[in-house]
Amino acid sequence: MPLAVMLPLVVVGIAGIVGLLHLLGYTGGFRMATGDDARAAWLRQFPEDTVTGAVPCSTGSAALVDTGRGPGLVWAFGADSVCRMLDGGRARITRHGLRIRFPDFNAPSVTLAMPPDEAAAWAARINEKRP
Amino acid sequence: MTDQITFPDVVSLAVPLFIAAILAELFWIHFKGRGGRYETRDAMTSLIMGAGNVASGILLGFIAYGFFMVLWQVTPLDLGTAWWVIALCFVLDDLRYYWVHLFGHRIRWVWASHVNHHSSQHYNLTTALRQTWTGTFTFMMVVRAPLILLGFHPAMVLFVGGLNLIYQFWIHTEAIGKLPRWVEAVMNTPSHHRVHHGRNPRYLDSNYAGVFIVWDRLFGTFVPEQEDEKVDYGLVHNIGTFNPLRVAFHEWAAIWRDVTRPGLTVGQRIRYAVMPPGWSHDGSRSMSDGIKARHLARHPEAAGTPGFETAAPQPSPSARTSA
Repeated sequence: MPLAVMLPLVVVGIAGIVGLLHLLGYTGGFRMATGDDARAAWLRQFPEDTVTGAVPCSTGSAALVDTGRGPGLVWAFGADSVCRMLDGGRARITRHGLRIRFPDFNAPSVTLAMPPDEAAAWAARINEKRP
Repeated sequence: MTDQITFPDVVSLAVPLFIAAILAELFWIHFKGRGGRYETRDAMTSLIMGAGNVASGILLGFIAYGFFMVLWQVTPLDLGTAWWVIALCFVLDDLRYYWVHLFGHRIRWVWASHVNHHSSQHYNLTTALRQTWTGTFTFMMVVRAPLILLGFHPAMVLFVGGLNLIYQFWIHTEAIGKLPRWVEAVMNTPSHHRVHHGRNPRYLDSNYAGVFIVWDRLFGTFVPEQEDEKVDYGLVHNIGTFNPLRVAFHEWAAIWRDVTRPGLTVGQRIRYAVMPPGWSHDGSRSMSDGIKARHLARHPEAAGTPGFETAAPQPSPSARTSA
């Protein structure tokens, strides 16, 4: 197939499918309403961990998790979730919530929308010095 | 010796079919409310990875083709282009695919290229297109060398490889359950390939087949999909980015980080690149056999069941990161 035909076909195809998915309501969707939801999401990633506490943020898009290995963060990633330990994670308060950076090429940062008081509390918790 | 043989670029010709099939699967899921899941950014990343794969083939394909043409000049054999030669080439190339795919999961250097295909937590027809941009750098084209040296023309080898890729497109779906027993016995099917994409300990390192599942049955890597254990798609340690550049290069970056660590011997640096994913010089990470063994330690009742025939229970190490 000539490039002059394939290139527009690919561009229009990708744009069309992505636009359709968004219009049909398939963007995002993962939420953690309770600590048990966050615990389940963490244990799906790290089944050998002991989770001693899990607190979702008010929007349900992330949760702070206490494990036997230390604190961690689980957050909504599209329709699914991703988990990382918080060692090395740094939080910065933004206009709409919180931005957390990880020293991790394949999970470099996450932006969380939350009220200012909650963002301040989370930032203090994430940035606290740990042994 | 025949040099000027042309076969159609079947993968390019199949692009409209790919788009139509994705739309059909999406509408099926949307209106039936079953048969799989879609997410906008996940699908967009997969589709861009697919487009990037085609682009990398255009830019770098000359390296593999040049290598094949050198072999074609060297070999005294020429099997011609009879239909049965093409059919034989298709079957032997599928055997070649099995081994390249197995290497893709058990040699980290090759895994660095293949990992992006497994990086989605979804399993739908867009996942099929989440293909590597860096396949040339794995040097796995050498596994095709015997086919050329046996007298299969390079253009034919690439043609049947394209057919193999097209076959594998439709099996990336949850919309199709199990097929008739004879099909499941011989062919790679959606059910078999769902297992291959599973991050469940039971399903790790299984079902490498492209078209014929008989290779897995023959070489002992076959695990059937279990009705009582739903496949959990993705990586043992899932990535947290939809950025195609990070998806394409994240394992290469991880290899670089490990290989350049201070205080390692030369042998340890090499092993970080060529040992299976999850290998570490201090045993702080887990390879798939360790993940299976520790799963058995927590679930001893699973011992001897599919996927756990040979693994032995093993306690969890005190320090662990991930595979």
